[in-house]
Amino acid sequence: MEDKSQIKIKFITREDNQDLHVDDKPLYVPISLKRYGLSEIVNHLLETEVPVPFDFLINGTLLTTSIEEYLKEQALSSEAFLTLEYTRSVLPPSYLASF
Amino acid sequence: KPEVIDRDEDVVDIEKARELWRKSELETQDLAASLCEQLRLILEPTLSTKLKGDYKTGKRLNMKRIISYIASDFRKDKIWLRRTKPSKRQYQIMIAVDDSKSMSESKSVDLAFQSICLVSKALTQLESGGLSIVKFGEDTKVVHPFEKAFSAESGAKIFQKFDFQQTRTDIKKLVRESIDIFNNARTLGNADLWQLQIIISDGVCEDHATIQKLVRRAREEKIMLVFVIIDGINSDESIMDMSQVKYLPDANGNMVLKVDKYLDSFPFEFYVVVHDITELPKMLSLILRQYFSELASN
Ligand SMILES: [Mg+2]
Repeated sequence: MEDKSQIKIKFITREDNQDLHVDDKPLYVPISLKRYGLSEIVNHLLETEVPVPFDFLINGTLLTTSIEEYLKEQALSSEAFLTLEYTRSVLPPSYLASF
Repeated sequence: KPEVIDRDEDVVDIEKARELWRKSELETQDLAASLCEQLRLILEPTLSTKLKGDYKTGKRLNMKRIISYIASDFRKDKIWLRRTKPSKRQYQIMIAVDDSKSMSESKSVDLAFQSICLVSKALTQLESGGLSIVKFGEDTKVVHPFEKAFSAESGAKIFQKFDFQQTRTDIKKLVRESIDIFNNARTLGNADLWQLQIIISDGVCEDHATIQKLVRRAREEKIMLVFVIIDGINSDESIMDMSQVKYLPDANGNMVLKVDKYLDSFPFEFYVVVHDITELPKMLSLILRQYFSELASN
C-alpha cells in the first residue's frame, strides 16, 4: 500500500529577490517528496511562469534525498515540524535531472 | 480476582501527575462550573409538560377513550391523562486526547491537560452518566473506562499516561476503535442513551477522505464526534493558515499539484478551534447546541 504519510513544513528563503519569497505559513506535504517535488510546490506558490529550480536545506544541510529518508537518518518522525530553506539552484540542469 | 495494573504504561511519576492535576484544576475550576451549567441546559431534556394516557386516575380526561368506555359498559376505564415525568437521559461521554509528538511541537500540551481537567470536571458535576478517557497516537488506549467513577486521583492517574511522544497520529484507528468501545459500552446504559466523543488534538492528521467515511459511520451508529482543535498558542503559526498539498489526476490522468486550505477538507463535521482554555466552554456548548438543534430538526 502507498504510504500516505504527510508532514508539516514551512518554507523560508534568504534570496534577495523579493519575488522569490513565499509566505512562511505551514504546509502539509507528503513525506515522499524530493527536491523536484518541493521545487514544484515553491514555484506553484510563487506562481512563476517559467519554473525556477530550487535547492533545499534543512538546518543548513542540503537535502539530497526524500523527506522520508531525511527523517529516517535524523531519527525524526512525521510528527516533526520542518523548516525548509530554499535557494536558487546552482547546479547544472543535467545534474538536477538525476535528483 | 487480582487486579492487573500495567505499570509500563505510566510514563509520568504519580507525585508529578498529582501536582499537574491540582494545577490544572485550579486553572479551570471557574470555567468547569460554567461549562457544567451550559451543558446542563443543553443536554438535559426539557421538562415534559405533555399529558399522557391511559390511566385509571389522572388530571384530565382522555376524550378519545370516552366512547369505548361507555360502549364497554364502563369496564374500559383507563380514561385519564397524567403528567409524566421524563426519564433522565443518560450519556456516555468519551474524551479522546492526542498523545502524539506534534502536540509538544506545537506547544499544545498545557492546553490539552487543562482541557481534560475542564471537561472531565464539568461532566462529573453534571452527573450525567459514564465518562471515559482514551489516548491516541500510533494506537488507541483506554486510560479511564466508562464503568469507573471519576475522582481527583483518577485525574492524576490519567495524566500519568501522557508524554506526547507517539510518532504517529492515527485518527482512522481512533475513530474505528472508538465506535467499537461505544458499541460495547451501550449495554451499560438504558435505551435513551446518548454517546458523545470529544477529541482534543492539534488537528494534524492524514487521509481525510477515509476518516470522513468513518465519521459518517459513527454518526449512523448515533455516536456524535466533536473535534476540539488546539491551536498552537506560543507560536506564530496557526492551523487556520495551514495549506495542504495534494496531487489529483487531471482529465488525461496526469497528476496535478493542488494547494488547498487544510481545514477545507477537515473530515469532522463538528469542530472548533481554540487558542486559550477560556474559549473552550463557550465553543463546546456552541457546537453541542448546533448538533442538538440539527438532531431536533431532522
Ligand atoms: Mg500528531
